[in-house]
Amino acid sequence: MNNRTLVIIAALLVALLAISSSAFVIKETEKAVLLRFGEVVRSDYTPGLYFKLPLVHQLRRFDARIQTVDSSPVRMLNSENKFMMVDSYAKYRILDVERHYVATRGDERNAVRLLSEQINDRLRNQFGVRDLHEVVSGQRDELMAEITKNLNEVAKTNLGVEVIDVRVKRIDLPPEVSESVFQRMRAGRELEARDHRAKGEEAAERIRANADRQVVEIESEAYREAEELRGAGDAQAAAIYAGAFSKDPEFYRFTRSLKAYKESFNDRADMLLIEPDSEFFRYLKDAQGQQ
Amino acid sequence: MAWNEPGGNNKDPWGGGGGNRNDGPPDLDELLRKLQQKLNGLFGGGSSSSAPESGGKFPWVPALIVVAVLYGLWGFYQVDANESAVVLRLGKYHSTEGAGLHWNPPIVDHVEKVNVTEVRTERTTGQMLTEDANIVEVVLTVQWHIDDAESYVLRVRDPLKSLQEATDSALRHVVGSASLNGVISQSRTQVSADTQERLQEYLDLYQTGIRIDVVNLTDAKAPREVQDAFDDVTKAREDEVRFRNEAQAYANQVIPVARGRAQRILEEAEAYKTQVVELARGETVRFEKLLQEYQQAPAVTRERLYLDTVQEVMSNTSKVMVDVEGGSNMMYLPLDKLAERSADSSSKRGEKVSPAVIEEVSQRVIERLRSEVNNNRRGGNIR
Repeated sequence: MNNRTLVIIAALLVALLAISSSAFVIKETEKAVLLRFGEVVRSDYTPGLYFKLPLVHQLRRFDARIQTVDSSPVRMLNSENKFMMVDSYAKYRILDVERHYVATRGDERNAVRLLSEQINDRLRNQFGVRDLHEVVSGQRDELMAEITKNLNEVAKTNLGVEVIDVRVKRIDLPPEVSESVFQRMRAGRELEARDHRAKGEEAAERIRANADRQVVEIESEAYREAEELRGAGDAQAAAIYAGAFSKDPEFYRFTRSLKAYKESFNDRADMLLIEPDSEFFRYLKDAQGQQ
Repeated sequence: MAWNEPGGNNKDPWGGGGGNRNDGPPDLDELLRKLQQKLNGLFGGGSSSSAPESGGKFPWVPALIVVAVLYGLWGFYQVDANESAVVLRLGKYHSTEGAGLHWNPPIVDHVEKVNVTEVRTERTTGQMLTEDANIVEVVLTVQWHIDDAESYVLRVRDPLKSLQEATDSALRHVVGSASLNGVISQSRTQVSADTQERLQEYLDLYQTGIRIDVVNLTDAKAPREVQDAFDDVTKAREDEVRFRNEAQAYANQVIPVARGRAQRILEEAEAYKTQVVELARGETVRFEKLLQEYQQAPAVTRERLYLDTVQEVMSNTSKVMVDVEGGSNMMYLPLDKLAERSADSSSKRGEKVSPAVIEEVSQRVIERLRSEVNNNRRGGNIR
């Protein structure tokens, strides 16, 4: 029965083909719309196995997972009229697949382009009334929440997607602006460096001056004490002299004068011109010493 | 797949589990034979034949059996100890399997395996703005692993890219609310911690199933363009310390020296005091002793002392005797000695006096003396 066998096999193949072109599985990660000649007939698929009529129905699958809109960096002006390059991304998820299909004609790139235009518009509006500091510093959470909420109103009705989050990835300054930032930073650092050096010099000067003062104080104190000591010595000596010499002042004057003569005329360079009429030469001319 | 691998002891997918545990070729053969007979009965075929073409009948039974066996084998898969397998049955999430050997109906089920223990590292670098509108250069590493395989596989498209973007955003957000000095030095750990918290928040919101283990701010420094200025600040800090230390060194040197000098001044004063007092004592004792003697014989002692002294004076000086009244005019001028002496003494003062000058001086002295004599005046002592 060869023929019968062949027929059976052929029938099996045809059945298989029919099944494969009519059965389809919607995964957990997918959403889909079923089209009949381009018209949406069903879009409420949950994950599972479904059938369609081959050739009549067309299936368009969409990603049901959270997706990213990664727009390229955009030039924006802030309130100070400075340009900056803002690079943002957004996370979204398809909610209403039918609306999404209709809005994008099934091309995801359209959705991404639309969303990124909307996001950039809103960022531009927000950043345009803020200065660089406000844009950069920590007010961004509220700002982004506001943009997200605002964007959702549009995105849900127009694109059938839910925007989960909008975030600024980076804000870069164009070269001329960043150059001025660098200059400012450099100036700040130079200030700091100068301040440190000046402080160091000040401290050094203080320490040195203090040391010099201490030196003068120590020495002058020593000098005072020394003078006191000398004075005391002098006084003591004077007292001793006075005590002794007042016993016979005349004799003291005599001996002291003699000592003075001795000490004054003790050099060959001293020249005395003498008339021999003093006590000393009493006998020089006359043995009797008659004057 | 491995039939004789440990793991599942019921490897016979159509054996009904309860039956033949000691499986093996003979058992299987028997089973196949039974199946074949039943099927043949159904299809109205005759006896079992191993050659399909011989009887002109298609061997349905063996073919089906082979397909079934192949299908059965195809369904086996192994999950390693560090993996989780997410199973979708007809597209719907079914279960998440752990390590071991598993069987799922192929085509019907879709299995996605992910590594859930491996810690992966993501690194991001770049220049970014700080809160005080400065630019800082940051290198950040993020260590993460897949915590929730189901989310990682099913909830988000391209979780890895989501991680990178979220990291960039979170880091810039945190740095953008910190000061430059904070990022560079003071609060680096704070920056890491805040970034980690924020990043985890984003990842949970995006349902990536990723868990962040560690966030490390491996490097945070001023941008290259201003690095030199920053280095100079470091140098300036060192300079500050150096200036201080140098001044301190100076102080440490001069003060002790001054103390030493002060001590010297004091010691000298002490010495002087002792000296004058002792001198006074000595002199007075000497005087008193002399006085005692003098009181014994005043005139003689006085005379003696006087003569002694004058003798000494005379013998130690140059003398010119001028006798005006006396007829014997004894003028004694030791000119050669005088010259010698004054040459000596003047050479001590570092001057040279030529003999001619001395000659002249002597001449002048003599003339002056003569004129004085001629004026009939008594000559006094001239030094």
